[in-house]
Amino acid sequence: MMSFTMAARASNPDFMNGVPELLILRLLKNAEMYGYEIVQAIRSGTDEVVVAGEGVVYPVLHGLESDGAIKSRRKLVNGRSRIYYKTTRAGERRLAELTGKWTELAGAIQKVLAGAKAAAVQRMIGGFYGEAA
Amino acid sequence: MAKPLSALRERLLEAGVAPRHVSRYVKELQDHLTDLRAEEERAGRSRTEAEAIALSRLGAVNELAQAMIGKRQLLSLSSRAPWAMFGVAPVVLLAAAWFAALLILWTGWQMFLPGTQTPFVAQPGSIFRLENVYFQFGRMIYFGAPFLIGWGIVWLAARQRLSSYWPALSFVLVAGLAATAQVHALRPSGEGTTGHVMLGFGVDDVAAVMVHFSVIFMATLLPYAVVRWRRRSATI
Repeated sequence: MMSFTMAARASNPDFMNGVPELLILRLLKNAEMYGYEIVQAIRSGTDEVVVAGEGVVYPVLHGLESDGAIKSRRKLVNGRSRIYYKTTRAGERRLAELTGKWTELAGAIQKVLAGAKAAAVQRMIGGFYGEAA
Repeated sequence: MAKPLSALRERLLEAGVAPRHVSRYVKELQDHLTDLRAEEERAGRSRTEAEAIALSRLGAVNELAQAMIGKRQLLSLSSRAPWAMFGVAPVVLLAAAWFAALLILWTGWQMFLPGTQTPFVAQPGSIFRLENVYFQFGRMIYFGAPFLIGWGIVWLAARQRLSSYWPALSFVLVAGLAATAQVHALRPSGEGTTGHVMLGFGVDDVAAVMVHFSVIFMATLLPYAVVRWRRRSATI
């Protein structure tokens, strides 16, 4: 059911869990936006690395609204009635929580990757001197 | 509305998503589709091409439906707790309506028939006399409530595309309660005291109870059957 995917490869629901909420809450913290704008902002803001399956952004928005993290209002723009969303105080707290979790996770992954890289360099150097001897 | 969105609406309602969320979702998707089509047309595509690409970018019906169905907080109360909507709510509503009807009966007895042994007496004179209108209003609530509640269940079940099980159970419950309910008036115990009215349940006359039950049950079941038949015909 994961609605957001990493471009050009299959999504990993476990790792992507909470990412749609995180991105949407971050975008709506600064500005009031409607669905189409949100999807375009995610596309351009992530250099199209994270691509939302366009229509499935709405269930995420409805879910967040039902949880009280965002609020909506109808607005008439250029003769069209649109539903605009904005983060609430509860949403800001949730954003801080999700940001913390995501940063922690990204840091942990980075640490593993850096460790693996260092070990590979050590092996390479060790192998080089081993061969030379 | 684009055909895939109509299919999506039906699928979501059948899955138990609350109608207000379904309506809003479909409206937002329709707007999104319009924006996508305009974007593709601005990119130089023909109307037909733009429409096809826009639909594909929006997502497949299955994907759009699953994203919504997976959010439990968006499901209707009828879907999450059908026993409450079709078991408890009709009984509570019926109890409230009958309480109001009995209150009218009792207050009417005190106001218009003080000193009489029972409020169930023929009202002489014009049917438009205040006391007659007052008592008839109470009767209307008492006898009309089971029908109104039954039709409310029909409306709810049709709106939310519910399966027949819970509505049918509800019709039986409402008809059963209405057919066996009996209003009793207790005489005043002494001079200057007031009588009482009370509600009980029982089967004194089996035939009468069966007729009463059948009338209410059929009056609620038939509209439901018609609604289901029309929906089925529309989808074939």
